[in-house]
This record gives sequence, structure tokens and C-alpha cells, in this order.
Amino acid sequence: MAQVAKVKFVWRIVDLVVGGIFIYAGAIKALDPIRFASDIDNYKILPWMIAVGLAFYLPWLEILCGVALIVRRLYLGGLSILSALVCVFILATIAAKVRGLDITCGCFGHASQHWSFSGHLALDLAILAALLALYLKGASGNRLQNV
Amino acid sequence: MRSSLVRQALLLAALAFIPGIGEAIYFRDKVSWQSPIPASEMVTLTQARAWGENTIWVDARPDAEFEREHIPGAVLLNEDRWNELLPQFLVTWSPEKRVVVYCSSQSCNASREVARRLRDEAQLKNVFVLQGGWEEWLKSRK
Repeated sequence: MAQVAKVKFVWRIVDLVVGGIFIYAGAIKALDPIRFASDIDNYKILPWMIAVGLAFYLPWLEILCGVALIVRRLYLGGLSILSALVCVFILATIAAKVRGLDITCGCFGHASQHWSFSGHLALDLAILAALLALYLKGASGNRLQNV
Repeated sequence: MRSSLVRQALLLAALAFIPGIGEAIYFRDKVSWQSPIPASEMVTLTQARAWGENTIWVDARPDAEFEREHIPGAVLLNEDRWNELLPQFLVTWSPEKRVVVYCSSQSCNASREVARRLRDEAQLKNVFVLQGGWEEWLKSRK
């Protein structure tokens, strides 16, 4: 019984850490959406108008999904959106690298401005792994709390 | 479970529109939806060179890149050491001069940010971003 409680506690910590990371990342970008629009534009994938729209929208989506993980409401929805966002971001980062673009990722605002490509990728893969682990654990049923 | 997942995801996606739209309204005067940099704030290398002595070149790249090589006479002003470098830049600045900010290439955004901060925080006028950045300068030397 104590073992089960310990395992639940560990998963809860993972929820809090991952949710906290996305709340932090979203808040930093929500505070400076113009800079985030420039960061999106640097990938040279989307027209500027869409980059601006996403710069206003995505930070709040990250924050809401992060909150969903922490309060365990809309849990699987939050996990699936965040997983999709991280996958898209990993692909966009790799594509930018392949195309030789000198980009600022913008994922954690100014703090991440000079992170290396491998640093970005390692962090993204770690977050994706944590999200997938939470998803599999949540989908298995016994720790999922549907609305 | 799948329908529940989709329902939850759609609900979160819809909820995020509310603060997003609010923020877009709040920032409506601070960002252009048409272009990242208004044409009036961009300058080509030829134009900037034509201004001659009236141009202050500002290098927005990291210190190491500036030390390796920069446009002759350029002043280093990057965001890493903004508070430290801004006073040094202001010593060289005078109201009749035009400030041309550059970073490594067309795709970098350091020059945009430095130009924006010079306009917004230092309240300077006549601040421009160099089209093509340092790469354009290198090409022109060949």
C-alpha cells in the first residue's frame, strides 16, 4: 500500500514539474508576445500574420494546459495538446537547423536566447518523454480523473 | 476515452482564445499584423552607406562575434549586456544621426529587438534595421 502511495506521489511530482514548466514558458511569452511573434517568424515557416496570431494564442494554451496538469482537470486533453506542441516544435527546430537558419527558439523567452541546438533538442525530448509517460499512465486508467 | 480526450482538448483550445483575444486587443497599437518590421524602419546597405558620417552602426550580435569582426566603426549593443552597453552607445549618439542596427543575417531577430528597445526604452528616433545584416555586409565586400 505504501509502495502504491509512493508511486502515485512520484507521478504527481512529474505532473507538477511538467505543468509548472509550461506555465512558466507560457507566462514569459504572454508577457512579451511581440518578441515571441519574431521568434516564430524566424523559423520562416509561417506568414507574419499567422505568427502574430499564434504569439497571442499559444502562450495561453500552454498556460491552460499546464494548469490542467496541475489541477488534474481536462488532464488528458492538456497532455495531448502539450505533446502535439512539443512534437511540432521539435520538428520546426530540426527543420530550421537543416535549413541553416540562425534562430532564437523563444521557448523560454530571453533566458533561452543563446541555448545551443542540442540543448534545445535535449530539453524538448526530455519534456516529450515526460508527457508521453504521463499520458500512458493516465490512459491506463487508475490515476485519471475525468471531468 | 478517445471522445473524452478530444472533448477536453477542444475545450482547452477554445478557452485559450479568450485571454489570447484579450491580449491581442491590448497590444493592438504595438504590433503590425502586416509585417514584422514596417518598411519605414528597414534600410538597405546602399542607403545606409549613402548616409555616410551620419550613420551610427550598431552591432546587436553577441560579444564574441563582434570581437571577431564587425562593420568598421560599429558600436556593440546587444541584449546580453544591454544595461552596461547602452550608456556607452548613447555617448556616440546625437539627434541628427541615424542608427542602423544589424545582426548576423536576414533571419536573426536581435537587430529588430535592439532597434525596438532603442525606440521604446531609449526613446530614440531614426532607428533602422539593416536588411540582410552582417551577411549582406560580407557579400558587399566580395
